[in-house]
Amino acid sequence: MIEVTQLTKTYGKKHNIFTALDDVSFTIPDGASVAILGKSGSGKSTLMHAMSGLDRPQTGKVVIDGEDILTLKTKAVDKFRATKMSFIFQSFFIQANENCYDNVSLPLEIANVPLKERRKRVTDALESVELGDKIKSKAKNLSGGQKQRLAIARAIVNKPQIIFADEPTGNLDSATGEKVEDILFGYNKKNGVTLIIVTHDPDLARKCDMQINVKDGKIESIRESKTKSIANVTKKGVSTV
Amino acid sequence: MKVTDTIRRAGRSLRNAKARTLLTSLAIGVGAFTIILSLAAGAGGRQYAQDIVASNTNVLELYVQPKQDDQSDSSKPKEYSEDPSISYGGGFSLKLLQQSDIDKIEKIDGVEDITPVYNVSAKYVTREGQKKYQASIESFTSTLKQEYVAGNGDTMGANDVVIPEAFREVLGFVDNSAAIGQNVTVAVDGATLGAPDKVVTLKVVGVVGESALASIGGSAGLQLNKDIVKELYQYSQAGTPNENAYTGATVTAISESKVQDIKTAINSQGYEAQTAEDLMGFIFQFINVLQGILIGFGALAVLTSIFGIINTQYISVLERTQQIGLMKALGMRRRDVGRLFKFEAAWIGFLGGALGSGLAFIAGTAANPWIRDTLNLGDDTNLLIFEPWSFVAVIVGLMLVSIGAGILPARKAARLDPIEALRTE
Ligand SMILES: Nc1ncnc2c1ncn2[C@@H]1O[C@H](COP(=O)(O)OP(=O)(O)OP(=O)(O)O)[C@@H](O)[C@H]1O
Ligand SMILES: [Mg+2]
Repeated sequence: MIEVTQLTKTYGKKHNIFTALDDVSFTIPDGASVAILGKSGSGKSTLMHAMSGLDRPQTGKVVIDGEDILTLKTKAVDKFRATKMSFIFQSFFIQANENCYDNVSLPLEIANVPLKERRKRVTDALESVELGDKIKSKAKNLSGGQKQRLAIARAIVNKPQIIFADEPTGNLDSATGEKVEDILFGYNKKNGVTLIIVTHDPDLARKCDMQINVKDGKIESIRESKTKSIANVTKKGVSTV
Repeated sequence: MKVTDTIRRAGRSLRNAKARTLLTSLAIGVGAFTIILSLAAGAGGRQYAQDIVASNTNVLELYVQPKQDDQSDSSKPKEYSEDPSISYGGGFSLKLLQQSDIDKIEKIDGVEDITPVYNVSAKYVTREGQKKYQASIESFTSTLKQEYVAGNGDTMGANDVVIPEAFREVLGFVDNSAAIGQNVTVAVDGATLGAPDKVVTLKVVGVVGESALASIGGSAGLQLNKDIVKELYQYSQAGTPNENAYTGATVTAISESKVQDIKTAINSQGYEAQTAEDLMGFIFQFINVLQGILIGFGALAVLTSIFGIINTQYISVLERTQQIGLMKALGMRRRDVGRLFKFEAAWIGFLGGALGSGLAFIAGTAANPWIRDTLNLGDDTNLLIFEPWSFVAVIVGLMLVSIGAGILPARKAARLDPIEALRTE
């Protein structure tokens, strides 16, 4: 469960002060898929950064597994991210000069996973995004959709509890984007991983269990899809990819 | 993140920027090249000097003198001492060794033999029908390796003499071997006014070529049997206060390992002893200074390359802002991000060090025969001697220097804000 309480983030000082997040509160159950919607500049990314401990808002709490990550030391937050979270970005941020294997292996190296186990997990992750045959290919030689699938493999390889995706389909055409969405939702359902997607796309948002609308740094509305019962998603723990 | 993984990733990023890496490490390589060659030249130079010293001086010998008074302030009156000494003007005097000193030193453990320095020079040396020439007289020592151009001193008798090639010429012998077996006449002044010259006739048994050390203080005198030198010395001093007193003495040790102990023992008894190595110390000092200057040039090259590394690494941090941001977002610790860049710098240092010392080794090995021919060194003398430790030391040293240079860029990388780093343009 992720509990966000009275989160406020401001930029600048005194006369120039800008409130990017204004007293934001909500709760996300484990295993839910969540869309954060809003216009450009409304504060979606800022919210996501705060929830993942990358950013430090001035006030408020982000409680994950009973722990307020905003009060943790840098080292502890790093460990939290290395073991429990993952990111997918609009522009992939894969290492173009490295092959797929090394790209996916990075989170495991950061989390100190032993080499032997790494090999298996990387292969499994690549296979689950249908890139098993590209293991030795340089990332720069992949197509856009393949690149984002590689990013997904990198995001799931450390078996996270939460995946943050900032406009994961923003740079992809609709068909390719749909494939990426399918993989993400499939993983979310199969493994009970909490999926938090920042998006402009209403169609994508509709597929999520929960939609959080952000406007000018404030929560405008929170909607939970009627078709899915979030309460039924129990904490399964994370099984194999 | 494990150190091995960090090192691997560091190496890989360098491989992705091959040209830049190579150029940066080449700058360090120049330093490594110079330093390795300087060390090799120093080692070779010292070895060569050692060879010269060994063949021109006897490593078993020590030169002993009395400890001289402090003569720095000549205006201070000095106490009179009954001991023999040679006085010069202005209050300077040179203390001498007496027979009792000689006896004392002879008893020191490890001393095989002690010979006083018989400081005597010939009034003249000549031969029938030739002019008279001034000459210095020395005691012949069989342990000294000399280059004979004719005859030798192996069977040096009481009335034999070994002459330098220069005297062979002026004494009118047609060639070196013509001198062997011929007689020359040596005269020494009496000590007191009116005393007649002492004249001895000696048979030439050997002619020596110019000594390699002649130019730096080696001998060029007549070498006579020790006993006759003593006799001539005593004749030249008879009746003076300095009879049986000597400016110094040469001590021979029973083995080379004893030399240092004997030196310590003699010094502790109030004398000053110098080993052959001490006497030749200035050669080594000269080589060391020269080597120091060369290493200085190498260090300068390394210093310049430090700025190259700092520059390269800063550019690398800028270029890889997104990568750093991503790694930090994935939970990589500051320390590990810093390490990644420090290891990159270390790799550059390693590459430069290995490249430079490798080239130095190849160049030096190729140059050795040429140097040998040009300088007319002995058959298997190498002026450049590469010692394995120098490669290790230079490469490790340069890696440390590079890490030092990489600290600032690494810190910049470690402090990068992941949110800003990941902001799409
Ligand atoms: N470092 C900063 N300094 C000042 N203002 C900032 C800073 N970072 C973000 N902002 C402002 O905070 C607001 C929210 O930014 P954010 O990136 O969260 O928007 P967003 O909803 O993700 O927009 P988009 O859909 O375009 O990505 C914006 O108005 C932005 O200008
Ligand atoms: Mg955004």
